[in-house]
Amino acid sequence: MRGSEPLLRIEHLTKIYDDGTRALTDVSFEVARGEFLVIIGLSGSGKSTLLRCINRLVEATSGRVVLDGRDVTAASRDELREIRRGIGMIFQQFNLVRRASVLTNVLAGRLGYVAPAWALANYFPAPVVAQAMRNLERVGISGKAFGRASALSGGQQQRVGIARALMQEPRVILADEPVASLDPALSHSILKYLEELNRNDGITVLCCLHFLSLARRYGTRILALKDGRIVFEGHPGDIDEARFHEIYGEQAEEVEIT
Amino acid sequence: MSVSPGSGAPAAGRRGRGAVAPSAGGSAPAAGRPAGGARSALPVPWYRSWRAFSGLVLAAAVYIYGWHVTQIHLSELWRGARLIRPFVVALATPDVVTRTAVVQQAVAPYEYGGAAPPAAAPTGAPALRLSRTSGGSGDRVTVQGEGFGANRGGTLWWENQIGQRQPLTEFRTDALGRFGATIMTPDVQGTRNEIVAEVVTGYGPLRLSQTFLVVLDRMVETVFLALMGTTMGVVFAVPLSFLGARNLTSHLPAGGAVYAVTRALFNLTRSIEALVLAIIFTVWVGLGPFAGVLALGVHSIASLGKLYSEAIESIDTGPIEAIMATGASALQVIRYAVVPQIVPQFIAFTIYRWDINVRFSTVIGFVGGGGIGFVLQQYINLLQWPQAATALWMIALVVAALDYASAVVRERVV
Repeated sequence: MRGSEPLLRIEHLTKIYDDGTRALTDVSFEVARGEFLVIIGLSGSGKSTLLRCINRLVEATSGRVVLDGRDVTAASRDELREIRRGIGMIFQQFNLVRRASVLTNVLAGRLGYVAPAWALANYFPAPVVAQAMRNLERVGISGKAFGRASALSGGQQQRVGIARALMQEPRVILADEPVASLDPALSHSILKYLEELNRNDGITVLCCLHFLSLARRYGTRILALKDGRIVFEGHPGDIDEARFHEIYGEQAEEVEIT
Repeated sequence: MSVSPGSGAPAAGRRGRGAVAPSAGGSAPAAGRPAGGARSALPVPWYRSWRAFSGLVLAAAVYIYGWHVTQIHLSELWRGARLIRPFVVALATPDVVTRTAVVQQAVAPYEYGGAAPPAAAPTGAPALRLSRTSGGSGDRVTVQGEGFGANRGGTLWWENQIGQRQPLTEFRTDALGRFGATIMTPDVQGTRNEIVAEVVTGYGPLRLSQTFLVVLDRMVETVFLALMGTTMGVVFAVPLSFLGARNLTSHLPAGGAVYAVTRALFNLTRSIEALVLAIIFTVWVGLGPFAGVLALGVHSIASLGKLYSEAIESIDTGPIEAIMATGASALQVIRYAVVPQIVPQFIAFTIYRWDINVRFSTVIGFVGGGGIGFVLQQYINLLQWPQAATALWMIALVVAALDYASAVVRERVV
């Protein structure tokens, strides 16, 4: 692998949904190893679609996604499963199976690795269970491992989501508005976990955020989308008043989250 | 609340609509009683609108015709009351328990066309003495009995060679337990006959009646009929329901066609009543509970399949996305993201169906599909009201009990 090669390269990505909605138009950018890339933009600007095109939860209409030198967009079903294994994903609505136990939710993150037949019987090898417990400990909720996911608070559920992503031992984590469904006061508690994974584990993070203040605080780089196009790419400090209105529109006013 | 007036009052209609629009926000009562100038903008009251009037006329016509077509004659309720009274009375006295009568019996042989065997010597036990012990039909015979209980009613029977009985006369014993009667020998086949005297001296303890045991037996059959039918429905409906769920089939090649065919099958089958299916299956596999199981089963497949499919369609897609993103296979996605979400609903629907099936299996016997309906129909046809009442009570109690039990279970699960 060449050292100069970026971890992720997006080339001319365009997505038009079946109903004609143009979600992304000719989006190209690169992400280097170890970056914490924050993607900002209004609701409907294409942030979620962009993240989902990277692991092909949404199939791009045209363009290429290259992860670590492998063309994701051209991968076969089996290759895609292997590629997805290396990409953790965290969701705005946490997307836990609410009736299942916390531990089962975390173990599900390992499905791409374990023997399929055993997994269908809800059996996971002891080392995998131990790994799940370690990850739950890491996000501070190992005590709730055997409770139902639905019994947890929003912040706790998102931490389970992080633990599930960690089970994949990912090189990249895609975080789609990870704090938008939470009490703003909890935003930092979640984003700090992502920051720690980024710094200590060397996991590259692509994170969509609503609040510019959070983007400035956590992002090493910021990408702004408007109507499916990149309107800004650069360092957090470079977003001044004029840039802000360019991204969010003239009516917008910045809200601080502390 | 507001009714937009029809074309019959165009001017008022326009004014009416103008008044309705602002009140759509939820302030209808306030807008309805403004003072002074707003009066002209009041909506037309619903009973004065052209649409309401024509609706009422139409409804009246429909119900008048319906009354005739369905031959509703309320007077029949009075005229037929005497016919149904025995049944209503029987409902209060269903045939549930019985007591065995303690019977004293004495037998004396009577031969047609030959010599009778000698009578047994009296031993103090009940015995009969006949004025003659052989002859032919039409003989007058004096019967004297002794050794019976005092002052009790009894019956004299004629029993022919193959054990068939016919009553001869009734009698009453005196204070010493004796009686006398004169009978005419009947015209019967065979030569060896017996004259039997029976006196009921008391009753044994209460026990369940034969009717009750028969009805109970059929009720058990009914409940199991429903169980097997429901099980058959579940076994086939679960896999089919995945094919009838739009959100899952859309990922398959030709998924649209699979979905359409599955749903069409469900709807077509469901539209055939289980009773009709039962008639068809009795032709196929013969009378009996198996035909009922098949009928309920097939109907349940369609009903449950549709309900299951809708449950699958209503699941939260978030977990599916999340599990797919981990690199899980399609089967794993179903196992970890779909199944946990649908299991409680599936259980609730299944219990609900079992409930319906228990109720339905009580009538499936009417067309030969087994179960309690079969005996109920017989009792009704033979005007055996106490027996019919027993069957009806059994149905009512068992169905109500299962109803309650399933409600409790459903509450726990969902």
